Amino acid sequence: MASEVRKVPQYCYQCVAGPDLLTVKVENGVATEVEPNFAAAEVHPGAGKCCVKAYGLIQKTYSPNRLSAPMKRTNPNKGRHEDPGFVPISWDEAFDIIGAKMTEIRSRGPRNAEGYPRAAASFGGGGIPTYYMGTFPAFLSAWGPVDFSFGSGQGVSCTHSEHLYGELWHRAFTVCPDTPSCNYVLSFGANIEASGGVVAAWRHGAARERGMKRIQFEPHLSVTGAASAEWVPIKPKTDAAFLFSLVHVLLHEMPREALDIQFLKHHTGSPYLIGPNGFYLRDPETKKPLLWDLTRRAAVAYDTPGSDPALDGSFTIDALEIGADGQEWQHRGLNCETGFGKLVTRIKAYTPDWAEKTCDIKSGTVRRIAAEYVEYAQVGATVVIDGETLPYRPVSIQFGRTVNNGWGAYECCWARTLLACLIGGLEVPGGTLGTTVRLNRPATTRQASVKINEDGFMYFPMNPTDKEHWKPSPAVRNAHATMVPLSANSPWSTALGPTHFSWMFQKDSPENWPRVTPPDIWFCYRTNPSISFWDTKEIVKRIAEFPFIVAFAYSHDETNHMADVLLPECTDIESTQLIRIGGSKFIEQFWDHEGFALRQPAVKPQGDTKDFTEIATELAVRAGLLEQYNEAINRGATGVSLSSGKYDFALDPKERHDVDTIWDHSCRAASAELTEGRDSDGLDWYKQHGLRTRPISRLSWYLFPEMKKQGIRFEMPFQERLYRVGLELGNRLHERGIKWWDVQLEEYGGLPTVMDFPGIWEKETVRQAGAGALKDYPFWLLTSRSMQYAWGSNVGIQLMDEVADNMRGHKGVVINTQKARELGIEAGDLLEVHSYVGTTQGPAVLSQGIRPDTLLMMGQFDHWATPYAKDMKAPSMNSLIPMSMALTDSTGSSADLVRAGVRKLGAGK
Amino acid sequence: MRLMPWHQSNWDARAAGNFIGGGGGTGLLIFAALAGDSLSDYRWQAVIALILVATGLLCVLAEIGRPFRALNVFLHPQTSWMTREAMVAPFLFGCGAIATWQGGGSFSALAALFAVIYLYCQARMLAAAKGIPAWREPKSIPLMISTGLVEGAGLAVTLGALLSGATPKWLAGALLCALIVRRLAWKFYSEALVSKGAPGKTLEVLARFGGRFTTYGQSLPELLVIAALFLGSQLVWLLPLAGAAATLSGWALKFTIVARAAYNQGYALPVLPIRGQGRAVPGVKPGWSK
Amino acid sequence: MTRYIMTADLRRCIGCQTCTAACRQTNATPPGVQWRSVLDIESGEFPDVRRSFVPVGCQHCGDPPCMHVCPTTATYQRDDGLVEVDYEKCIGCGYCAVACPYQARHITHRVEFAYGEPMASESARFDARRMSVATKCTFCMDRVDAAKESGLTPGVDPEVTPACVNSCIAGVLAFGDREDPQSNVSQLLDETQHFRMHEELGTDPGFYYIWDKK
Repeated sequence: MASEVRKVPQYCYQCVAGPDLLTVKVENGVATEVEPNFAAAEVHPGAGKCCVKAYGLIQKTYSPNRLSAPMKRTNPNKGRHEDPGFVPISWDEAFDIIGAKMTEIRSRGPRNAEGYPRAAASFGGGGIPTYYMGTFPAFLSAWGPVDFSFGSGQGVSCTHSEHLYGELWHRAFTVCPDTPSCNYVLSFGANIEASGGVVAAWRHGAARERGMKRIQFEPHLSVTGAASAEWVPIKPKTDAAFLFSLVHVLLHEMPREALDIQFLKHHTGSPYLIGPNGFYLRDPETKKPLLWDLTRRAAVAYDTPGSDPALDGSFTIDALEIGADGQEWQHRGLNCETGFGKLVTRIKAYTPDWAEKTCDIKSGTVRRIAAEYVEYAQVGATVVIDGETLPYRPVSIQFGRTVNNGWGAYECCWARTLLACLIGGLEVPGGTLGTTVRLNRPATTRQASVKINEDGFMYFPMNPTDKEHWKPSPAVRNAHATMVPLSANSPWSTALGPTHFSWMFQKDSPENWPRVTPPDIWFCYRTNPSISFWDTKEIVKRIAEFPFIVAFAYSHDETNHMADVLLPECTDIESTQLIRIGGSKFIEQFWDHEGFALRQPAVKPQGDTKDFTEIATELAVRAGLLEQYNEAINRGATGVSLSSGKYDFALDPKERHDVDTIWDHSCRAASAELTEGRDSDGLDWYKQHGLRTRPISRLSWYLFPEMKKQGIRFEMPFQERLYRVGLELGNRLHERGIKWWDVQLEEYGGLPTVMDFPGIWEKETVRQAGAGALKDYPFWLLTSRSMQYAWGSNVGIQLMDEVADNMRGHKGVVINTQKARELGIEAGDLLEVHSYVGTTQGPAVLSQGIRPDTLLMMGQFDHWATPYAKDMKAPSMNSLIPMSMALTDSTGSSADLVRAGVRKLGAGK
Repeated sequence: MRLMPWHQSNWDARAAGNFIGGGGGTGLLIFAALAGDSLSDYRWQAVIALILVATGLLCVLAEIGRPFRALNVFLHPQTSWMTREAMVAPFLFGCGAIATWQGGGSFSALAALFAVIYLYCQARMLAAAKGIPAWREPKSIPLMISTGLVEGAGLAVTLGALLSGATPKWLAGALLCALIVRRLAWKFYSEALVSKGAPGKTLEVLARFGGRFTTYGQSLPELLVIAALFLGSQLVWLLPLAGAAATLSGWALKFTIVARAAYNQGYALPVLPIRGQGRAVPGVKPGWSK
Repeated sequence: MTRYIMTADLRRCIGCQTCTAACRQTNATPPGVQWRSVLDIESGEFPDVRRSFVPVGCQHCGDPPCMHVCPTTATYQRDDGLVEVDYEKCIGCGYCAVACPYQARHITHRVEFAYGEPMASESARFDARRMSVATKCTFCMDRVDAAKESGLTPGVDPEVTPACVNSCIAGVLAFGDREDPQSNVSQLLDETQHFRMHEELGTDPGFYYIWDKK
């Protein structure tokens, strides 16, 4: 038989570390193989490779477990133990049901009696589902207010503190080393080799070969620890203590000249003078913050040309101090010191000997690492990038989840950013970089979002906390704009608030808080909070309270178990979408190019499934929103604006357009955008070539040149702005009688302190489970990223399951070998792990590579409905983690961490 | 993912059956021929020997994935001891059949000769399996040959007693000699595995087996033969009992080596990789004794 | 002369199993049959512990014990060093599997698919010739052979390079001609310290593990 073989270009964006560019081999109409898109090797920073998860796409396409037709629920009762009674229906019937519901909801107005949007939508983490939902964002835009605050993990199981503080300090939604030129990385729980995707694997592999030294601080020996030069088994949640101790060594045990004094003086807030109330001392006329000029021997405004700022010392000046809510103090003959001076004093107590007791790491190790950090930093070195001479500081610090969210994470982020500043290594080649912006606008480039504020730092769109502008009534259920000033107000902000509040408050609203009611209609796609959030038993109950759920569904799962209508969309390699690629993006995605890539139907859709764009268009029609929907597409809701001054490929807003027409227009606009309007190649061109890029300067990787150009300082070490908004927020809440956020408010301060962070979890355990409970829960239970599973919702794919099993611990409870033997546990024994919230079971995996006080569960997949996955019987810590106000930090996040006990249920096979 | 040596699953009890039948059968054929006229019933001994060898080969046929292609087994005499074993088999059976028909005679000598070659092929076949440390040890060759001879002598004396009641005294001596050789072969074989290093589980299995084997498979039949040499005329059951113990222990030995101690090589790293920076760290050989 | 070999830079490997998945798919092996896989080996005692990731599979030995023992000549060695199996000749006796010190050979007697019944992608690639015979990594022989036609260079041009090497996301695996001093692998080996697994068994394996720079 003559065989017809094609290789169809695609992208894979199943995790935030994407996109990977690939081709699908199609033999006689059947997809058989995934391969890297070799044509992209020249432009893709991971050599055009695609990650292991992409290889699961073939099985995903043809799996018999896939839904092949729309379904409707026949059992009105919802819950885990209710059979939904799904029956197949036609697309027409499905659209009729949803259309009627949408019309009825819209007739009652966009918000309910409590002021919350009647419509809510949840998508999987990191915004990645948008790369598969075609024009659905345009539908949501046309709809009006939509509540995105029902999280499935985002906001709580992400690197949350980094998102918020990273953007505040250096436009770093995520932070990473400048890996291609970095020589020394301190990695605290960042499992970059498992979570960083192809680009991280490629860049770090090359860096190791080059001789980059990475030290991994983590309670267990992860994949990244394995691939590091050194593993330091740090006690859980004591990372901040270790980092503060490093700062101590740099400031108190090393000669000051070892630091990058010029960087500190001229590019940070270090020399700003601090008043007795904890605010900057300002020029009474201009209200600009003051510093002490060693040349003039006088206090001058921070931006006075030719000044030589004093880094520390004691100075007597006249100045104005402005506090929260506009309170002012006029000082005369005030004796004051700099922010840096305050820092030196604050950090004095955090000695290596103190760290040894706190972190379980020898003081000698702290000192050695501090010395290496400074030595590798090469203070004073420069490098030329695209003709511009920049500082070269090849050292960096990286954080992973759990280090980077919940209590203690702010202190870690602060210390990390400070440590970069101390050696002049923030946003310079070799050093610590931000990747992208999600809270600041415009989001086109990080540089474009940089603006100076009145104090000489970067502008940040804080949610208002002043009396006039603070929003006492939350616009969405998690109240991010009300409670978390740092979450800002971009389209991403809702998902970056305390997304557990939506679930928690629906059950019990706290004191003096508006009632939280379920949405009238909930859309969910590529998300499964019923197994991926915390305290999953509770989450399932809350979802069951939602009156009408539309789930875009690949297969039956634990969340769409409660759905009213299931809509099976053409999956990854069956449908069309154009996305932006290049520039710098999450994790380690630093490109020397930018452009667009296409996903296209390589094979005919399986079953009676529809392209998501076709579904979105039909929903827009049924909701009577076609015109608004088309206009949203024209504005660029799907990633590219269809018209500009140089081109116009806008769709007729009154017409209904088919899938190919919509994407053809998008492709033409993309071509035109990349060529300044010269080319207008459409869908057919992209189908053939897969991607189109143009080169960009590597200078775009570094924010320092833009900061220098605008004369902006990094806001380090003193945090006057945070201190102020914290006080103001406290005032607002107290005015409303709200006291339950008081502990969180304490996190807002000028200079952070290290608290007993593990103790917060211990105290809550005792509070919930009673005195002496720590004896019942002697372990810290943690999780760790799996490259084979993470993000992809591919736990039901046999190939992934099989290859993941080649790696230790995927389906078990990892426990220290000696500790296990003490407890009479052998490898393979069935264990029950319990916290005060729930229990889970799995076989024991004995490992030398984990602290004796720690347990690890890699998988977080205790599925009970998803075909294939439900038979895996893997343990999951998600059933064990409480949703708790006490464990929520001021950014509205907590950590994947819980005290747990273990019990042997039976001998292994 | 298995890291430590795991038990090979390609050759099971059926493969062990080939070594049991082949070794015992050829050994018997050799001793039946050596006994010549002094053994009154060569015919029965030879038939049983050939049945044993044939049973072994049938076991192999039952084990291979593509039995209809079995004749391909003859294609590689240059290096494959399996081919060589297969090529000897027709001659062994041919001569054995004629000798059986003739009730002994010159073809019995030829049959014995092919039996020796067949036995040798089997011993080499196991030793050529480089993936199994318990097999590839060169000292497995004398062990496999000696146990084949022990089993042959043991069967000869046992059958002799059962069939005619008359067993030449030298055959008892031969059994004793073969047992002593096998005792030494076992000692050298097991010591070699320990001194060179082997999968821990292989050594565990062999150590567990070795105790019983030397007691009931070596010392017991040796003592019984010695006793029979002195008291055999009064206690006629001593020698056949010794033969049975010697034979059965040989079969147990082969079953153990082929189907119980056959842990594979596993994996090893002579040195661990440098991850960016650091010192070279000694390697690792999971599951090995050294 | 040509001797195709593979190198694995253990400094780079992170055990992601992308090569495993790519091989499974490219060679359409049944569930559980991994011609290429990556081991995850822990060694040492807490807190001085190491974890190494080690790609394994057929080593395409220069002196392959599997070939020597094979009674049918189904296993053979090509002039370019590849050790292959003729599925039509193999009787599935398993002798090669026990002769291989790398556990690289697989004999499957039962037809198996990922989800029980075959999916379209599995039906399209199912090869009955592979049932009950020895199978193993072929170094993607068909691609290497295609190089003869196309003039492309295995290990350099992806079209003629083994799938595992193409797929590797950390730059661990490389493929090429050891006999050509200018080849990618020869140069790589010249610059690095490396070993071959179980070399003491005299198999002359064609798979080199790089562990440090020179």
